[in-house]
Amino acid sequence: MKKILSLMIVLAVVFPSVLGAQRVHIDIEARGFKRMKVAMPAFAGPKELADSVWSQCAKDLEITGAFSLLDPKGYINPGPISFIEPGTLKDWALIGADYAVAARVERQGAQVNLAVQAVEVSTARAVLNTVYTTKADSVHRGVHAFMDALMQKALGLEPIFSSKIVAVQKVSKKKQLYTMWCDGTGGAAIKGGGDLVLNPAWSFDGKKIAFVSYWKNNPDLYILDVRTYKVELFSSHKGINVTPCFDPTGTRIAYTLSKDGDPEIYIAPLGGGTAPERLTRSWATDISPSISPDGRKLAFCSSRAGTPQIYVMDLVTKKVERLTFQGSYNSEPVFSPKGDMIAFIHLAEDRRFHIALIKTDGTRMKVLPGTGRGDESPTFSPDGRLVAFSSSDGNIYVTDFMGTSVVRVTDTGGFTEPCWSPLME
Amino acid sequence: MRNAERVVGLMALVSLIFFISGCAKHGVQQVEGPTPPSQEEVITGTPDMELDMPGSEGDVSAAPQAMEEELAKFEQDRIYFEFDKFNLTADARKVLAEKASFLNAHPNLNVRIEGHCDERGTREYNLALGERRAKSAQDYLIFLGINPDRVSIISYGEEKPLELGSGEDAWKLNRRAEFRILGN
Repeated sequence: MKKILSLMIVLAVVFPSVLGAQRVHIDIEARGFKRMKVAMPAFAGPKELADSVWSQCAKDLEITGAFSLLDPKGYINPGPISFIEPGTLKDWALIGADYAVAARVERQGAQVNLAVQAVEVSTARAVLNTVYTTKADSVHRGVHAFMDALMQKALGLEPIFSSKIVAVQKVSKKKQLYTMWCDGTGGAAIKGGGDLVLNPAWSFDGKKIAFVSYWKNNPDLYILDVRTYKVELFSSHKGINVTPCFDPTGTRIAYTLSKDGDPEIYIAPLGGGTAPERLTRSWATDISPSISPDGRKLAFCSSRAGTPQIYVMDLVTKKVERLTFQGSYNSEPVFSPKGDMIAFIHLAEDRRFHIALIKTDGTRMKVLPGTGRGDESPTFSPDGRLVAFSSSDGNIYVTDFMGTSVVRVTDTGGFTEPCWSPLME
Repeated sequence: MRNAERVVGLMALVSLIFFISGCAKHGVQQVEGPTPPSQEEVITGTPDMELDMPGSEGDVSAAPQAMEEELAKFEQDRIYFEFDKFNLTADARKVLAEKASFLNAHPNLNVRIEGHCDERGTREYNLALGERRAKSAQDYLIFLGINPDRVSIISYGEEKPLELGSGEDAWKLNRRAEFRILGN
């Protein structure tokens, strides 16, 4: 066993491949979906390292929205253990565990091995029996690979953890861009964009971030190359140049300009060359465009009916239909990656701003509980199953569509306007 | 030496008093006078004459200081808006009328109007709302005769609150337009 550990970068000894039967389809209507309960005793290995890896696993389990961690206080054997003994499965069954997870964390020179075993309690089948090897300073990447594998092998879900969130971070009086993995690990500030940056938006290939900066004393639009950190000025018309959104093909960008007197939505090719095409024509405020994954529709917020509401434009016929009729304030629409629904901000009956979801045909609007303290800036996970958002406490949260899982991703505060990237290599 | 200084100081004070009382008298006449102003008054009655009084060093700096105070007042007098609104209240129009007369009196100065919002509502929508608040103020100044080239606008949305904290007391002060003098 030792020999195998030392030889392999990532070794996946997948025991008789599981499931299929338990493949879960989760969407806005899946009211009955129950999160799978996971028992995860303390990990074996050097205590400090093992505990910190365990904590990240516990957080990430909750972020998935598909699993929930059983309170370790109820475990018959709280660990640390590195292997689930078949004879102990009845103990885990007794506390209601659907899965039992054990792991050993080991240092090996400049590397760390995370050896994980996950067992389906009812069938005694090993869902996962894998060693993840990473550099010592990026153990979180091993946890990400573990979590994605667990979601895939246990429930047939698509991976999410190799994705990032870009947000705006406030530091003293300045605001700068900040990127992190979607569970808050590996965070890094992107400095040098001036005193005030806003509205970061990821391109659909994850290679570019469009954002607003007051670098030249006006809210202008810039595009950042994520690989080289080179920034290009994209739009600096008189008035606001804000709320960018890439189209899925990566060739166009929709955004808001007030150059013609009031905020209207425009679309322009990324390479420049031609003047932006004006899409909306109303005396009112039109803002916050989001292009559907098939590139055919544009959701936006408009106050043309007196209050901010969500509208959808057919980008071919330019026909506009109002989508939301409930409430006096609906704003910041974003299409889900599958294009079947739109998340937005809704002023709810409790007079707080909540994340809400609605089908693109205008039916089945659902208000998510969120933090209950005022939530903003929804953004979908790459698989479209989860929504990240910022709350009034300046932290970023991830919730599922049931609202049963609301997990805080950041700790320090100062964060606003998260935007979730597609999966990265 | 010390005596000489005192004498000069006294003379300056006396001349200053004469100057001030003269001004006051002049002002009173203007306010009281139901009769049409004489031609002389029209000629000398341009606002804020900057008399360069001989031997009165205090007065030389008094004029720029007065100007500085006026500039400070211009920048400190803000206008305020209702929640999610960008129409001008009666108070706001009054403040803007004062700004217009100041700008008329100082044709070498330009102004930049900053539109701001309270923290409620979404950041993105508030960028637009801040823009529209600044635009309302800009439109009214232009309506009052100020050259459009002299009035620029910028929206800060909800990014630069004047008052921190939540609640109507803070919010009502944050839903505002501010006025920045730009030299030219």
